[in-house]
This record gives sequence, structure tokens and C-alpha cells, in this order.
Amino acid sequence: MAPDTQALYAQIRHRLIETGEWDQIRGVLVTRLNESGWLDELKNRGKERGRDMDPTTFQAIYDELRPSASSSMSPAVKKEINAVIKQHLDRHLL
Amino acid sequence: MSGESSSCPHIQAELSENFGEAIYPRFKQVVTWNVHRSAAVRAPKRRRISPPRCGVCDLALSRPFACLHCDAAFCWEHGHAITHSKQTNHTFCVDAKSGRLYCSQCDDFIYDPTLDELYTRTVVSAEEKETRFQESKNLREPFKPWSPTDKDTSALENANLLPCQSRRGLVNLGQTCFLNVVLQCLVHNPLLRNYFLGDKHNWRNCKLDTCTCCEMDKLFTEVYSDDPAPYGPTSFLHTLWKVASSELSGYAQQDAHEFFIATLNQIHSTCRGSTNVSCNCVIHSTFAGQLQSDVKCERCGNTTSTIDPTLDISLELKGNLPENTLAACLRRYTQPERLGPKEYSCSKCAKGSPEASKRLSIRKLPPVLSIQFKRFEQRTNDKSRKIDTPVRFPSSINMAPYTTLVMKEMEKENASGPGAGVPFSYLGPEALYEYDLFAVINHEGQMDNGHYINYARFQDEWYRFDDDKVTHTSLSAVLASNAYMCFYVKRHLDYKPYQTPTYVLMREKEEQKERERELKEREREAKGGGSMASPRIVGGGGSENKDMEIEDEIWATV
Repeated sequence: MAPDTQALYAQIRHRLIETGEWDQIRGVLVTRLNESGWLDELKNRGKERGRDMDPTTFQAIYDELRPSASSSMSPAVKKEINAVIKQHLDRHLL
Repeated sequence: MSGESSSCPHIQAELSENFGEAIYPRFKQVVTWNVHRSAAVRAPKRRRISPPRCGVCDLALSRPFACLHCDAAFCWEHGHAITHSKQTNHTFCVDAKSGRLYCSQCDDFIYDPTLDELYTRTVVSAEEKETRFQESKNLREPFKPWSPTDKDTSALENANLLPCQSRRGLVNLGQTCFLNVVLQCLVHNPLLRNYFLGDKHNWRNCKLDTCTCCEMDKLFTEVYSDDPAPYGPTSFLHTLWKVASSELSGYAQQDAHEFFIATLNQIHSTCRGSTNVSCNCVIHSTFAGQLQSDVKCERCGNTTSTIDPTLDISLELKGNLPENTLAACLRRYTQPERLGPKEYSCSKCAKGSPEASKRLSIRKLPPVLSIQFKRFEQRTNDKSRKIDTPVRFPSSINMAPYTTLVMKEMEKENASGPGAGVPFSYLGPEALYEYDLFAVINHEGQMDNGHYINYARFQDEWYRFDDDKVTHTSLSAVLASNAYMCFYVKRHLDYKPYQTPTYVLMREKEEQKERERELKEREREAKGGGSMASPRIVGGGGSENKDMEIEDEIWATV
């Protein structure tokens, strides 16, 4: 990120966390991911992978699951969360 | 908890130095901070809380990892928490949100039972200070962990520890798979399990002839014994035939849901201290919730509310659901429904029958949430059919959006658009609304000619129960199955404060009566000077006296 963008990001990030909006956006994300089955899919994969892994470490499971976790998120959920974030940003940046 | 060990030698070493004095205060401070912060940003009158900044990159932290050896906190995603430990030799940091500890020497998140318990206690203690009761404005009753009396300690010292994981199949006694699946779901119900394994209704001391509660006690005794062979619940079936109406007798296939509700009512009626109104028995304490029905006149806005007790929630599958998910079913269940012109007349606006809408909501959530998907459709032309549509259900669900209180709050927000339907500012910690799946009943085949199987969870492992055949399975297999009934248990129990359960009150009353009886007996002996040789008869029979003694002994251990 360019330094100006980085500074702006840091500022907005601070504001959203301070007001609780960050948590609110995250709340919507988690609810949608749970309802779409994504959360349970990941939970199951992590658990079954951990069962077979020796030694089992968080970082190893995380590194293995992260790529497919990102790609398996439904486009509809992505779209909705982007819209929610935009709503909050519009309020702060106006 | 005895038997559990730490996964990290470094934390064990740390905690054994000065009883963990070096890290406990900081650990508690961080965990407490997170509870209060979460409550502050979610409160109806939202408060701003300045976030901590990462000690390396200075970004505001949404999920701080706090060092346990200094005042700093860091972000995880850029590896700065680990950077800090490497630079300073500060070994441990904690995720403020989950209380999980990271050990930089193990290079992994670790588990320690002492810290795990400390985390739970700290969270509960902090949450107790946050929310007051609506009407009384009192604070929540502080949680007191159980501590054994001297009697308890000596009883425990002489007790044998048995492994009891409850993975015992049930023999099919002739089309009784409907019974087996329900029994397995009751056996794996943590609240029922604790009640019966805690000996709160011992069949040997029950005075009733035909007692379903005793049958449950016998069932728990068998399932939690060390006999792994499948068990045939013959006495349960026998009692069922004795008490149930003619519909549930005989060897025909029955509906598991019908049997489930009938059994709950049977256990309730044979429970000690059960009442017809506001009952406190184990069944009602476990399963009873309240549904509120609000009927609103569309013309004048006058709303009449009725509250009904309920033991479970039955969800329709007919018609078109936007998505085949449990959440969609619950949304439909709680959405406003138009009432026909003839169905309603308003008491406030005098003229005729205006348009009205009715809305259901859950006023009080039960500790165990039982959900039935209405798959068996009885049609008027006698052609019943089974709705086989699979419904996706989660392993964890937050029930806040379907509760009366939160739904009222949500009316102020947008009903549609991005982020709609996800409540944020509502009373109480989220944990009070969160449920975890522990059992599922499936029905395979057609209406009259089908078979029931069930899944149940023991701690973190899932098992499949097909009558006498029990196999280990995975969460994904459970969630992929076609559910007929789902059972969820609340993650953190809440309880009516400063109250004594009715069965405890009854026991105290009976102990009082026994004391009075003994006093009278002693007075009689002192006056009459009865023969020392004749046996003392109290209450009509020697054996009954023995029963009383045994009963008192057992109750005393409760």
C-alpha cells in the first residue's frame, strides 16, 4: 500500500474499532459464514487434519487451510460484506 | 479437573513458581478488559473504547494478543506477537478474545487446565457485573464453584472411578428404532445426564409403581456402566405401554417426535416436586422455554401478547424457503403473518375486523433447544407425504435474532439490505444466546416404512447410533445428514438467581417431618419405657425405615 493509503487505512481502522463497528461488521460476516456452512466445513477440516497430523501445531493447520478457506467463501457473502463495509466507510468519510 | 494435563511444560514451570503470581493478574486483567470492551461497544448506548495499538506496527488492534510479561499487546496476522517474544524472551502471550495462550518456546498455542478454568471463571465474573436484570435491576447471582463438604470428600475418596462414555447401542425390540433414537438423545443430553448420574432420582428409593423417571435412571445406569454390549430397554418399553395412550402401544412404527414429547411429559409427571404451573422439575428446567405471540391491529397499532410455555420448536418445511437452512426456517417462524379478516377483531378500534398481523418470538430460551422439522405432512385427503428436503443446520447457532427482546430492538433497524437481520446491540453477553449441537435424529425411508438413526456428540467426538450399532463419525457426516430433529444445548447456563429448586425444598420438608417424628418417638419411649428388646418401628415397617435411611443418605450426597 502506498504510504498515504496506509495512513488512511490505519486511521479508518482505528475509528471502526473504537466505535465497535469493526465488531459489528465481523458479526455479520461470522453469521453469514456460519449459515452458509463455511464455518463448520473449516472446523471439520481443521479437526480431522489435526487428528492425523504429528506433531499438531496451529501454524501448520492454519497454513494448510488458509488458501482454500479464502477461496471457498461464497461470492454472495463477499459481496454483502463489501457492501456493509462500504456503508460504514461512507458514513465516516463524508 | 482431575486427570487433565497441561500440553506445555513451560507453563507448568511458570505456574509452579509462586503459584503463577507472575502471570495470573495480567491474564485476568486482559480477559476482563475484553469482556467489558465487548459489552461497551454492544450496549444500546454505545461507548467508544480506544483500542490498544500493536507494539511493533502501531496499528489499532481488533484482536489483541497481550504479552503476559509486560504491558504490551500485538497483532497476530503480521507475526508481531511472535516477534516480540523473540526480541524479549517473554514466553507467553494470550489472545484476549479466546483466552488461549501462545507459548513461544513450544511455538504453538497450548492447553493448560488451570488457565482454562481461570479463563472461564474470570469471564463469568466479569460478565456478572455487566448486565442487570430487567425488572428488579439486581445484578446476577455470582457463580460459586462447587466445593466438597467433608462428607463429599470422604465419599469421593472411597469411590471407584469408572470410564463412562455412554457409547452403548440399544437393541431394537421390534420396530422400536423410534424409541432408541429418542433415548440416545436423552442419554447424551448433558443436563439430564448430570441429573441422573448425580443420583437425583434413584429408582431403588422411588415409591411410585410405574415411574418413567425411574426408567430413565435405570437407562442411565445401564448406558454409563462398563458393559459395552448393546442394551435392550425392555423395562422402559414395558412402562411406556403401561402409561401411554393406545396410540403408542403395540409394535407399530411410531413417530419419534411424538414419543419424545410424550416421554418428556411422563418424566415430568413422575418427578419429585413437579407442579402443573411454573414447574421446576428436571424436564422443565432443561427443555421449557416460552413463546410469545403478538397480534397487532394494523389500523390502530394495538398489540395483544400471549405467552405460551413450550418444550420444543416445530418448524414448517412446506412452501418455498429462500434457503434450506435452519436460520431461514427460524426467520420464517418469527416473521409477521397476516391474519385473515375473520380471524381477528380489535378491542381498541371499535369498527369490525381490521387487518391484523401475528408474530411469534421466543420470549425465554430453554437450556436445551429441541427443534423438529415437520417432515410428515398430514393431508386432508388422507394422502400423507414425507418432505425429504435436506435442511442445512449449523454446529453452533446464536438464537438472539429470534428472541422477543432482540426482535423488538431489530424493528428499529433495516429489515433488508446488506447486513440485515444480524442484531448487534442487545442485552446480555452473546454467550447467553449461543447453542451447540449435541444430537440429531434422522428418518430414512417413507412415512410408514422407514428407519430412525441418530447422531450424538460426546465432548468433541461424534458417533452414529443405528440401534445396536454404534460407530465413530465426523462432524461433516452429521451435518450432511437429513435431519428430522436437532438438539442444541446452551453454551453457558444461566439460572434464576437466589432460588432453591422445588425438589430441594420438598426434601427439606421431609427431613423436617422425619426429625419431628423421631422427636415424638423419643418422647414416647421416655414416657412409656418400652422394651429394649422389641424392634423400633417407625412409620409402619422395618424395611421402610431402612428405605428412609438409605434415601436420606443418598439425598445427603446431593
